[in-house]
Amino acid sequence: MAVTKEVLSLAVETGDALLRSGAEVYRVEDTVMHILEAYEIEEYDVYVLSNGIFASANENKEDACSMIRHVPLGSIHLGRIAALNQLSREICSHECSLIDAWIRLEECKNIPNTGRKSSLFFCGIGCGCFAYLFGGTPLDALIAFFTGFFLKILLLRISAGKTSKFIVNILGSAFVTFLSLLMHSLGLPIFYDKVIIGSIMPLVPGIALTTSIRDFFNGDYLSGAIHMIDAILTAFCIAVGVGTIMTVYHFLIGGVLL
Amino acid sequence: MMLVQFLVSLVATLSFAALFSAPKSELFFCGLTGAIGWIVYLLFLNFNDSITIANLTATFALTVISRTIASLRKNPVTVYLISGTFPLVPGAGIYYTSYYFIMNEMSQCSKYGMETVKVAGAIVLGIIFGFALPQVWFNALGKKAG
Repeated sequence: MAVTKEVLSLAVETGDALLRSGAEVYRVEDTVMHILEAYEIEEYDVYVLSNGIFASANENKEDACSMIRHVPLGSIHLGRIAALNQLSREICSHECSLIDAWIRLEECKNIPNTGRKSSLFFCGIGCGCFAYLFGGTPLDALIAFFTGFFLKILLLRISAGKTSKFIVNILGSAFVTFLSLLMHSLGLPIFYDKVIIGSIMPLVPGIALTTSIRDFFNGDYLSGAIHMIDAILTAFCIAVGVGTIMTVYHFLIGGVLL
Repeated sequence: MMLVQFLVSLVATLSFAALFSAPKSELFFCGLTGAIGWIVYLLFLNFNDSITIANLTATFALTVISRTIASLRKNPVTVYLISGTFPLVPGAGIYYTSYYFIMNEMSQCSKYGMETVKVAGAIVLGIIFGFALPQVWFNALGKKAG
């Protein structure tokens, strides 16, 4: 009797970890189903949303059980997705016993994020490169490197506390705008809009928007709507941050609005 | 010129993949898909001015590349696909839309808004077409690599 429950919780826990790392809804659903099948549970039902999992197994038998998980929208962790995928593949080819699977799952969940120093560096490099790709000059890219670098420091600092995601986005984009306008008014010949676009790339919800439309095409309308609202609100917060600083700047130098 | 763009987009994608904690061994391949997608995008943008078509073809190309690399390296496609679409996703478009919305410039806002929706749609269609190719082709590649 305990076995059904054990298998179901392993499957749902794996799905939970995948969803938290930002895997697509249909992939999570497939994985949970495959794991259940691999441990010979024939009757099951799985429903995955972008922030929740509902699953039941053996409803009509004596050992019926069901599970519900709430999974808050998190940040993407590609390493965990790859590891969990490998794990589910091994489970499906029956190379992995139930006990081993639990141990492996814990290992997958504990794969660390990119280290603090290298994430600062990569954030700067990424921002600089995007500033260049979007039509900035090499100097813009250089400035965007530094603004991206400081943005990441700020982001790591704020998100250590339990600050709302919206506040983080507003503060982050305001900070970037402030820095680039400061550089501009110090007399550096930069296109500050390119610098701003490059440096807010770590914040903008491009992936969320694309994921949302992919969900719509897959027929997961509810998950699509959740991602869409998330993307729109995030973009709105970023614009509030940039807009506020821009308005203050133009007010201070007494110029007309763009 | 193209070479510079290729390298810069490779590095850009690679760094953002690192930010999203991609496995270290896959970073270069993530960057490679992103760079190929970006170059296809630029090439098509040279042919005609439609960014929708350019995005569609670029995502199609990068989905195929991602699936190829995924079966060669035995990793889920998502790792390469999410990283590869970084240069293309309309992050800047979403930003401009909401920026002009707040600045109360409605004509600019709707212009960028429509463009963003079209680009996002094109990217998704590109991904869907890319996934429409039968998995058997890619499996054969994976077997050859052992």
